[in-house]
Amino acid sequence: MLLTAATLVALTATLTARAAEWELDVDTRLVTVDGPPPIIAGGLGSVRFGGDESGLRLGRARFALSQNLGELFSLHLDASSWGDRDKTPVGLTEAYLQLRPYPYAGFRLRVKAGAFYAPVSLENRTSGWESPYTLSYSAIDSWLGQEVRTIGTEMQLDWLGRRSGHDFDLGATAGVFGWNDGAGAALADGGFTLTDRQTVLWGRVGKPGVPPVRAAEPFRELDGKAGAYGGLEARYLDRVVLRFLRYDNNANPSATDFVTHTIAWNTSFNSAGLRVEGGNGWTAIFQWLEGQTYIAPQGGEIQWPFRASYVLLAKRFGSHTLSARYDKFEVEGHSDGGSEDDGWQKGHAITLAYVFQPGARWRYTLEWLRVQSTSYNREEFEDGPPTASQTQVQLAIRCALGPLAQ
Amino acid sequence: MGRSWGATLTVNVLLPNGRPLGGVVVTVNPVSGPVHPAAPVQAVMDQVNRAFAPDLLVIPVDSTVAFPNSDSVSHQIYSFSPAKRFQLPLYRGKPYPPVVFDQPGVVTMGCNIHDEMLAYIVITDAAFFGRTSAAGSWSADVPGGGYRISIWHPRIRDDAKDLGGELTVGEQNGGTLTLRLTKQLKPAPLEGRPHSWDTY
Repeated sequence: MLLTAATLVALTATLTARAAEWELDVDTRLVTVDGPPPIIAGGLGSVRFGGDESGLRLGRARFALSQNLGELFSLHLDASSWGDRDKTPVGLTEAYLQLRPYPYAGFRLRVKAGAFYAPVSLENRTSGWESPYTLSYSAIDSWLGQEVRTIGTEMQLDWLGRRSGHDFDLGATAGVFGWNDGAGAALADGGFTLTDRQTVLWGRVGKPGVPPVRAAEPFRELDGKAGAYGGLEARYLDRVVLRFLRYDNNANPSATDFVTHTIAWNTSFNSAGLRVEGGNGWTAIFQWLEGQTYIAPQGGEIQWPFRASYVLLAKRFGSHTLSARYDKFEVEGHSDGGSEDDGWQKGHAITLAYVFQPGARWRYTLEWLRVQSTSYNREEFEDGPPTASQTQVQLAIRCALGPLAQ
Repeated sequence: MGRSWGATLTVNVLLPNGRPLGGVVVTVNPVSGPVHPAAPVQAVMDQVNRAFAPDLLVIPVDSTVAFPNSDSVSHQIYSFSPAKRFQLPLYRGKPYPPVVFDQPGVVTMGCNIHDEMLAYIVITDAAFFGRTSAAGSWSADVPGGGYRISIWHPRIRDDAKDLGGELTVGEQNGGTLTLRLTKQLKPAPLEGRPHSWDTY
């Protein structure tokens, strides 16, 4: 008891002595949307909101904390509330400890341990894994935000060429993780979506009891086997970034939790991305991702290969940014026993956005998003036509406070 | 310095297309005779909005540079350049003593927390030094004689051996050296992009 109190006093003293850096954001939305409800509400919609959700909504309430622990370590926590019905009203999207030694002889090592995003997205480059271009992320990054997270450790080795008189930097990343055996379930059952709703750690994607997604829980460990990823990155000055990453959660597709009747999803993908920024305010981003997820319940094996890509073009005029993005995505359905079309989904989307950010505190965004997709499950589970288009318009006002808000 | 001499030495730096290049570091030493480096100074390189301000300093050897950190966030400044290797934790309300630069050379600095931060300090043992104006020109009053001139800028691609020359400065007429680069500059650092980006 005394020891606990002493520890708490010591911890408080440390925190006060070297004040933590923090950020508090509140993002409210005025939404008009048609089409089915989103997956989190039990529908098969393709965007963040849907059904009768037009009106005033909470985009995100977020609190982030960065604390240096001496010179070498830092702790990062990112908590969010999305104003919908997850298991808990507030959850962590990321929580990790970082080891960050100073570079040595042109090389730098960084090690993360905890829960965080693997380096795939080239649009989600601002704090909270948000995009400065659009409210809704691309199909690729929406899926990563929904189902893929590293809960484990990652090592990154960089050669800092620009600090040694060259024009290039090079980097290599390797990660080992657990608790991602559920990744792929929501993609196979619900298809790709375009949303900014990131699943919090140990949160769920769908609505309990409502097929086909039900309460998919991506952050589960079912087989005791670690997953891994490896990636490469090259940068030219501050203008061009090229990234590759291979991810494999290495799940045993027959591993089952008999209490919750959930099965492990073996999911792997390759991804590549290129971002080019010009001196005149233009940015172009291309990302591509292709992979598959499969399960092997007793006596069968069902596979869902998937692929998605997008091109984004943005032009910045001072504190104004105009962006346009075209997304293409497809989930194939294959099974050895059932229908060939089970889970099949194919579609494309256009996103147009205008962002006005006059300073660190306020950001205003107007976004128009139209998704056209054909989905076997829409016919199967919602008695609707398989092909549908959904349009969502959002006006967002975000207020950010704290020393990290910049 | 403080003394004034009658002869004016002028250095002009031109891009391959003939347009002037400002901000170029110019260093000048007499070809013969003893070299007297300029007197050391106390310079400041601040950290403002997650960027170095200024992002290029030219200082005589043995000068000091203070890194005050005007940001509300911490920085960890480092250099692994041979002229000066150092690591500097800049936490709020915890000023760090100025750093002494006692070797000539170019020091490239970064921040271990904010990757996009990049700055240079040129430490020179030259008798005369400065940076070209927006018109691409720099001049100084020097005693008549022969001088060896060299220039440096982070965006110049030309080989270092081509970046300079020798010049005789007459007591009456002075002397002018015009250097025309043969290679295009490297692209300028992007402006206007918020410095808080690329945390992922």
